[in-house]
Amino acid sequence: MKKRYMFGLLAMLLAGLSLSQPSPFQQRVQQAIQSGGSKFAETMKQDPDQALCSQYRDKLPPELVGAFLERQRALIKYPANGKLLGDWKQGEALFINVRKGNCYACHTGDPKEAGAGNMGPGLVGYGQRGTSEAVVKYTYDKIFNAWATMPCSLMYRAGHHGILTPEETAHVTAFLLDRASPVNVQR
Amino acid sequence: MRDRSLWIGFLLALGLGLSIALTQQPEVDPYKEAERQRELFRQTAGILPGELYAAQGEELFAQKRGPRNVSLEGCDFGLGPGKLEGALTQLPRYFADTRRVEDLETRIASCMVRLQGFRLEQIKRDDVKALSAYVASKSSEMPINVVPRTSQEIALYNLGRELWYHRAADRDMNCAICHDSYAGGKVRLSPVRSPRQGLSNEWPAYRFEADKLYTLQDRIAFCYESVGIAAPEFYSEPYIALSIYMLAEATKGKNKFTEMPGFTR
Repeated sequence: MKKRYMFGLLAMLLAGLSLSQPSPFQQRVQQAIQSGGSKFAETMKQDPDQALCSQYRDKLPPELVGAFLERQRALIKYPANGKLLGDWKQGEALFINVRKGNCYACHTGDPKEAGAGNMGPGLVGYGQRGTSEAVVKYTYDKIFNAWATMPCSLMYRAGHHGILTPEETAHVTAFLLDRASPVNVQR
Repeated sequence: MRDRSLWIGFLLALGLGLSIALTQQPEVDPYKEAERQRELFRQTAGILPGELYAAQGEELFAQKRGPRNVSLEGCDFGLGPGKLEGALTQLPRYFADTRRVEDLETRIASCMVRLQGFRLEQIKRDDVKALSAYVASKSSEMPINVVPRTSQEIALYNLGRELWYHRAADRDMNCAICHDSYAGGKVRLSPVRSPRQGLSNEWPAYRFEADKLYTLQDRIAFCYESVGIAAPEFYSEPYIALSIYMLAEATKGKNKFTEMPGFTR
């Protein structure tokens, strides 16, 4: 009985190994990446969902979407004090800072900021949505982990990668939602 | 010489002032701005910086150099030894003598190794850049003609396409997400093109904002670094794979090279 159990376990292990073996093409890709040097190879390592997005060219088949979003939602962390709306002024600095949010690369925010990119939706007047709990949470979640609402979105997972801490995410949330923020001041 | 550097300093200050003034306005066409900067160089210096690099490359090309003391006139870029007219238009391609697919820069380096007898680590990056500018100058405004045919070329094209979609690092980026899905959009003021729209048709180019010559490998390295991925080592496979992918796509889009070396922001 025990022997049969061990045998079964071994068979499962072998099956698992052969299934997780990368294809010859994937092995070739890895070889090419390694040829770029160890620093390049190190930064090119993927987490499973980055690999999934690459595999499906950023368009996940519908049957994979639900589980993907669930995995990403589980990665969201909130500030210890539970406040998702922080200080919009600190949020503005993080929004501008290219090493932090770098949000102007793709979004408008303060309409006075010329030279904002347009790859993402414009955010001027974003605060019209009000500050209900649902709006605040949606906005916070989107900034912390964009993939939790839109699989393989261009927008990076700033909070998940530690580019923004939960507190910093709350500040950027305030920059978008606070009535006094230049994003929302009517001119 | 002193006069010229003063002039260039003055021009750069002027350009900087103007570009600051211009960025205050919402609509600046970066292509028109590059055109304007180029004209300023033409008027005052009489020569474009890219042409200076090419002239330097021409000298290096003809000079007898290296342990074997020979010139690079025997280097075959795919059209026969020393045949440079249009050579860039069909690179990267497979070379039987090195048994690998090589792009312009890798080919220059391998010729310096095989013909001149340099060791790879002795090759100066600046020499390769100047030589690239020179060889490229012989393909100015010519149609791009990269069509992977051999099994090696097709394999590298497929590798390049895979790297193109490879999302990685803290910014979760790949090339495609900006250069395909959102091509035609802008990152800050920079317009973003897709390979089919001719992305990569201006390199090697002088970038007036950096005051440096950038080869296609330099430009790819810059792209990787700006999304938080360490650049691959020069002449390595990722560059060659991405180049053949982009230039083959540019060929499908019936694109031409710009003036070579290019002049851009």
